[in-house]
Amino acid sequence: MVNSPKIEIRNLYKIFGSDPKTALEKVKAGMGKEALLNDTGHVLGLQNISIDIHESAITVVMGLSGSGKSTLIRHINRLIEPTDGQVLIDGEDALLLDQDELRDKRRTDMSMVFQKFALLPHRTVLDNSALPLEVRGVSKSERHAEAQVWINRVGLGGFEKHYPYQLSGGMQQRVGLARALTSNSDIMLMDEAFSALDPLIRSDMQKLLLDLHVELKKTIIFITHDLDEALRLADHLVILKDGAVVQQGDPQSILLTPSDPYIEAFVSDINRARVLRVRSVMTPMDKKSKYAGDVSPSDTLESLIARAEGDTSFKFRVLDGEEPIGQIDMQDLVKALVPRVSEAVQQHL
Amino acid sequence: MAFYDSLFNAFGLREWCDASAGSAKMTMASLLAKTNPDAADEGPLLPFPSMDELYKACPSFPQSREFTAGVEEAFLNAKDVLKTVLDPLTQPLSWLLEGALFIFLAAPWWIVVPLILLFVWYVCRSVAVTTFVTVSFVFLAFIDHLDAALQTLAIIAVCTGICIILGVPIGIAMAKSNRLQRSLLPLLDLLQTLPTFVYLIPLIFLFSVTEPKLYGIAIIVYAIVPVIRLTDLGIRLVDQDVVEAANAFGMSSRQKLLGIELPLALPNIMAGVNQTIMMSLAMVVIASLVSAPGLGVLVLRGIRNLELGVGLIAGLGIVLLAVILDRVSKAAIARVSTDQTFK
Repeated sequence: MVNSPKIEIRNLYKIFGSDPKTALEKVKAGMGKEALLNDTGHVLGLQNISIDIHESAITVVMGLSGSGKSTLIRHINRLIEPTDGQVLIDGEDALLLDQDELRDKRRTDMSMVFQKFALLPHRTVLDNSALPLEVRGVSKSERHAEAQVWINRVGLGGFEKHYPYQLSGGMQQRVGLARALTSNSDIMLMDEAFSALDPLIRSDMQKLLLDLHVELKKTIIFITHDLDEALRLADHLVILKDGAVVQQGDPQSILLTPSDPYIEAFVSDINRARVLRVRSVMTPMDKKSKYAGDVSPSDTLESLIARAEGDTSFKFRVLDGEEPIGQIDMQDLVKALVPRVSEAVQQHL
Repeated sequence: MAFYDSLFNAFGLREWCDASAGSAKMTMASLLAKTNPDAADEGPLLPFPSMDELYKACPSFPQSREFTAGVEEAFLNAKDVLKTVLDPLTQPLSWLLEGALFIFLAAPWWIVVPLILLFVWYVCRSVAVTTFVTVSFVFLAFIDHLDAALQTLAIIAVCTGICIILGVPIGIAMAKSNRLQRSLLPLLDLLQTLPTFVYLIPLIFLFSVTEPKLYGIAIIVYAIVPVIRLTDLGIRLVDQDVVEAANAFGMSSRQKLLGIELPLALPNIMAGVNQTIMMSLAMVVIASLVSAPGLGVLVLRGIRNLELGVGLIAGLGIVLLAVILDRVSKAAIARVSTDQTFK
């Protein structure tokens, strides 16, 4: 992706407390989170965050609770004001917008899906989904027609007249999704959108989101604490810890080359065969080899193991469309499945 | 010799004290002591240094009756100013009350009562409640208490209406501003704890007893508190996640208030209205002391003339009205709440 990012977050700091400016000086001078809390009673929410969020990609921000991920996403639509730093949207500093401009931006350019759904309990599914257009002053028939399209798209056709409390959690979040889609904004912010759902429903919703993404090419910022979910959705993965970015990049490369023990511990109990893809493990063709078959670079290693029926002596040719781009040796594949664990983490485990 | 003589002597104030000896007003106690000098006792061993006790030792010291007189004088001095401001401001209240009383009494019963029943049906949609109200009205009419009951109802309707019109916006403002809430809460506490009779005292001096606004103001000031409190509470209790979602989609403050906060706070606001109605009923009975018409007048007659039957029957009528008002407003709350069950 050579084009400039849709959203650039530059050196963002957030400090909660009575006098964040003074605390900011101390943090910039190198004071840590715990020291800050003990000395001044201020909570360091985010420190020096810089992320490029590319257009039409899914950027996943992952971290455990308290890592500042929900705080971070709220800076993009300024539900939380930063202490210091910049948020550029299409090259324009969102922090310089006044209240009216900000409201317009929220109405037209970005939509949000919430962990606890945050539907209006006194309104029907149809009225909830039509909310973003209602806010903009679109006429009733027009906004209902538009909302109906998205209700059908998320698989809730027939439930328009229901109230949120009559729906299950998964269905409520589909309404949340329909509401965000009705706003027809380029940017979708998803704050732990699927975390409150049970695993099967969550998997369905992830598939729905991926399908929608292929279709609509929206810029999605997705917050999660679940690594499996992050790896399934992410084009770009950002890992937060204690309000700072620990590592960011292509999820496959984070998995293969974790940059610090925290991430190693994180990725160590992942089913790597299911997550890693051929393109991350393949080697250049050596022309002499005999191939047992052709595979696609986006095939998971798990599917290859199944194809080789566990035999490690095979080699496969990797085809991108019609063009051969590399080969994959089953022995390399098995090596890639062994997580790289440093000593610090081993002791921890 | 009085107990605190030595105190004034010690401070060298004796001269100042005696300068005005004998100029104070005679009290009942001293008059009795004069006619019966033997009964003058020494008093307790250590009397509390109250104004009267200090006066005994020092005639220049003010008596406590002068304190009461001072408060009275201050109020009477402020009265004219207050009256010129409040009189025109509150005049519409008099007109409203007179108008409502006139309409309720001038219209024939076969129009007023069915209209009331229709209203009851409209707000609560409950057969049981509507039937109960019908039976109660038939009973009141049969024992010739319908007019008095309608007068009471008319006053409550006007006063509750004004309480809602004033109280809901005040409650909204309180919910939006912590500072306003902090400064208004003590005032609301005061209004709620002040004994009902005390409201009437300054009002009697401000307005003529023949004016309906006198009791109108007393009722409104007394009954407005719950609707303010519960509007404030209701809006503060609105799920902050929903408010955040509204912000995220760029709702303006107006859109949030009308589209989210007020509808979601409605059950609480209605609970406040129910309380307000019940409190205005309580006050309208007491306000019969200052010429509020209705069932309260009959109760007052029962007390004043020892007409036991009149007083008891009027009391029964008030109980009936109370039950009616409570049931109807509760049924309305229930209807609003089931329209938007929150989970």
